[in-house]
Amino acid sequence: MNVETLKETFYTLVSPDIPNDWDVEEAVENLASLDEEKCRSALNQVQVIWPVSHSLCFDYLKTVTSALDCFAADNLSEWVNSTLDQYEKQGLRAAQRYMADVEGNFLCPLRGESGVPFKRVHGRLLPYLRGLSGSSLELAPHDVVYTDSSTVYVPHEITLFTDDADNIFFYKLIVTYQWAFIACSSYTVAESAGSNRQGQDSSTEELWLQGFIDSFPDPRLAGDLYHLLETIRVTTFLESELPGLMRRKRSLSDQQQSRGLPLSVTSEPVCRLRDFFHAADNRSADTSLHERCLALAERHRTHARSAMDSARLTRTLYRIMDEEAVEYTPVEPLLYQGVMRLDGVRHARSQRLEQSRELFVDALATLLLQQGQAGSTAVAEQPPEGPGAAPDKEGVAVVVDARQQDALTASDSTVVITIDNEKVQLNDELQRLASSIISDLGYFPEQYVSSAVGRAGKGYAPFPAGANEEGPELTGPVIYDEWDYRRNDFRKKWCNVLEKPIPLTRSSFYPLTLQKYHGQIHRLRYQFELMRTSERFIRRQRDGDDIDLDALIESLADSRAGLAPSDRLFIRLRRDERDIAVLFLVDMSNSTQGWVNEAIKESLVLLCEALEVVGDRYGIYGFSGMRRLRTDFFHIKHLDEPYDELVKQRISSIAPREYTRMGPALRHATTLLDRVDSRLRLLVTLSDGKPEDYDDYKGEYAIEDTRHALIEAKAAGIHPFCITVDRHAQEYIGHMYGSVNYIQIDDVKKLPHRMPEIYRVLTN
Amino acid sequence: MKRNMRLEEHRIEQEPFYMPLGPEVKLAEAAYITGLPILLKGPTGCGKTRFMQYMAWKLDRPLITVSCHDDLSTSDLVGRYLIRAGEAVWTDGPLTLAVRSGAICYLDEIVEARKDTTVVIHPLADDRRELPIEKRGELLVAPPEFMLAVSYNPGYQSVIKDLKPSTRQRFVALAFDYPGADAEAEIVARESGISDSLARSLVKLAAMTRGLKDSGLPEGASTRLLIQAGKLMENGIDVRTACNNAVTEALTDDRELLQAIDEMVSSVF
Ligand SMILES: Nc1ncnc2c1ncn2[C@@H]1O[C@H](COP(=O)(O)OP(=O)(O)O)[C@@H](O)[C@H]1O
Ligand SMILES: [Mg+2]
Repeated sequence: MNVETLKETFYTLVSPDIPNDWDVEEAVENLASLDEEKCRSALNQVQVIWPVSHSLCFDYLKTVTSALDCFAADNLSEWVNSTLDQYEKQGLRAAQRYMADVEGNFLCPLRGESGVPFKRVHGRLLPYLRGLSGSSLELAPHDVVYTDSSTVYVPHEITLFTDDADNIFFYKLIVTYQWAFIACSSYTVAESAGSNRQGQDSSTEELWLQGFIDSFPDPRLAGDLYHLLETIRVTTFLESELPGLMRRKRSLSDQQQSRGLPLSVTSEPVCRLRDFFHAADNRSADTSLHERCLALAERHRTHARSAMDSARLTRTLYRIMDEEAVEYTPVEPLLYQGVMRLDGVRHARSQRLEQSRELFVDALATLLLQQGQAGSTAVAEQPPEGPGAAPDKEGVAVVVDARQQDALTASDSTVVITIDNEKVQLNDELQRLASSIISDLGYFPEQYVSSAVGRAGKGYAPFPAGANEEGPELTGPVIYDEWDYRRNDFRKKWCNVLEKPIPLTRSSFYPLTLQKYHGQIHRLRYQFELMRTSERFIRRQRDGDDIDLDALIESLADSRAGLAPSDRLFIRLRRDERDIAVLFLVDMSNSTQGWVNEAIKESLVLLCEALEVVGDRYGIYGFSGMRRLRTDFFHIKHLDEPYDELVKQRISSIAPREYTRMGPALRHATTLLDRVDSRLRLLVTLSDGKPEDYDDYKGEYAIEDTRHALIEAKAAGIHPFCITVDRHAQEYIGHMYGSVNYIQIDDVKKLPHRMPEIYRVLTN
Repeated sequence: MKRNMRLEEHRIEQEPFYMPLGPEVKLAEAAYITGLPILLKGPTGCGKTRFMQYMAWKLDRPLITVSCHDDLSTSDLVGRYLIRAGEAVWTDGPLTLAVRSGAICYLDEIVEARKDTTVVIHPLADDRRELPIEKRGELLVAPPEFMLAVSYNPGYQSVIKDLKPSTRQRFVALAFDYPGADAEAEIVARESGISDSLARSLVKLAAMTRGLKDSGLPEGASTRLLIQAGKLMENGIDVRTACNNAVTEALTDDRELLQAIDEMVSSVF
């Protein structure tokens, strides 16, 4: 084809767009050398690429001719797809780079030669990481390897080795090292437990390490030295902890040279120190300098006990380099070592601390309330972020004694708390939280304890939320009666329920949850699949498909012994058809703020995934409100609405709002279910404890109204079931829900795991 | 006469190896003296059965163990008429046998049994300490030597199967869990014969698998699995294969979890 026809074809392909004439000419003239057929195939892809990116399309036209020298036209669309993948994941530059090396990027993997993408290892490495750490660390792909101490970031792909098993191993090596930096407190090291423990809010504090590194004239050098020394220390730790892994690492480095791998792949960290003196290599006296530093590093390898030792040696080495006037050219980190990102660590740490502080204060306050210690020592709550909150202000003497069991990894500390000379017996949960706080901060802030004492003293009332932006109503208000136990009758037409759409928010909640529970969802699907229809044998029936031999023999023997023989002698096979409709009613009151709300949402995700398999009809609504005239009833999923993106987005948007007037919400859900024709109709409530509204809807009144609403549901032939997330057994719950109709979950983290199981048992 | 022969099989002559992990031995002894039943709860393979064997030896009582299951009926526990040479002969079930002869009756995994079966233990578990045998119109009163022990695993029981409060409140509850790392390594080394360092590595592996609750593995490797892996190793199976067969494959069928545990094995060993 000549350039004119090519241009014309191009314009028709991209119409109604009219790109610049020269650009088009410059791009399509590359195609002129191709034969008719190849040219057509090449042009065919224009319609695929153009809408994605115009620049990419022009780049494509410039490279496609040489690409078609490497592979047949049949492979073209696959190559284009991979290019678009790159573009969408990492942008234009990456896509250009990808197109530039057809052989390495496209053909080698196509021939199955090498390269393992993150996708392929995620499924095995996430549980591996969690097993290693015993906590819920996340794993994600990224351009650089590092960890912020909550997530471990690994490459999008590893193509270093021709054998994929080695590439997979290398992923594992990276993950393990990054975990080890966390486990050894490499980034969260703190000078000493004693200093700076009172005063400002510790959760937003600078990392000690950051200050340390910034105190050097060349922070880059100090940071690199420190990171390398920590890598040396961590390597020793891994040698003893995971010998199998390190053995394989060594065997890879033995082959390093023969395989022509870059030094940064598998070098021993100790050897790497040499490169810091690179620029000095030409000077004669330097061999001794090398020797001296290497000897120090070698000693460090065998003797370092804590990250503080690395900090000390950093200072020494820095001084030596300074004195010897060694010029530092930045040394590339080892691949598995990754980079150190202290700002990321600080951010992640403060998020984590915030959560654990809230949980700790809450749990301790509840514990104190239960133990009745709060009454006598009540003080006003001191927010932990309050400046200089002296813990012993109002005569409450708080002593916190934290003991680290293992100096090497700083994990597993035991905390002993003494309030007014009385030792508080911490439960497992509090110990775990305290231990996580210590591993982040290096000490335990006493303010947390005084806040808890204060909160316990105040009787711990949840905070009313500020004005919420309200969505429009879907229908006019629906009016319900409310039960007044004092007069043993209804207050007529007392409450308004308003159906509303849930205000949508954007977040990555859904994909993250799917990822987090990936394994469980997989298992759930399988379990729920088995539930679709169930068959089982029931024994000792009056009639049936087969004789129950055991029963027959027993009845013969009984009759010989002169007893009346039983006539239940048959086994019957029973097929159970499902035909179940269920409504989930979710408490969106302010008190669910934080973990409870998260857990409820996660449970809904798991449930939806499972219910889609089993095929039961299900709907989801949320409720919250303020006073009797406004109980908001948020639509998340109607009974027969398909489970689609919008539903997912609504689930993600469930957020704490105002108060919990249970009764009207239950009555409205009952009304909705009453219209449904199913063998089993279930109404499952998910909440966090007591019903309570802003007005006098609290205490016994609220409990009795809730109880009555549940009785009304039962009378309508609906099975209500209530799931409460509450750390402590509450005596009123059994009465409110009726002892068989509820389950209490003491640890909110268990909710997502138990929820589908509860459902399964309920409906089986 | 006949009964005694059956009973003798249940006597434990040799001291079983049991490493106490807390005050459980003292507590169980106190419960025995006071005539209270005991409830052992904890994950599978953490030493509950071994503990009962040890207690039976220490208290010098026969130990009659019943593994509970779905199909277990009251007659299976209490006894039934059988036909021998054309005649109906009453045969005691294991529970009745234990009550009559003052033995220890251990109902393993009690929640696996149906509710209508487990009601027979109610009058035995409270201060009446008696067992009605309806078919014979007999009411057995347990001698002081009789002890009732039941076990259950709170981990994987479904909600509905949870023990009824009215039943469980009659028991002295002893909570079991996997031993601490040092103790567990010692148990594994001792029971399987492998070296201390190998045992430690096995324990490390177990700890990792026990951290997979959120990833779809409700129960990690138990002490029992570790001992089995150790035994395979002692019998010449190489470490990786032993772990693969005794631990990894025993824990899950999920492909990705299998791979993950495999990666743990290859890191640890
Ligand atoms: N404290 C212990 N002392 C000695 N052996 C133990 C102990 N805990 C566990 N074991 C070993 O673990 C194995 C499995 O324990 P077992 O009692 O059968 O578990 P469970 O009854 O809890 O399921 C036992 O055979 C024993 O070898
Ligand atoms: Mg057992």
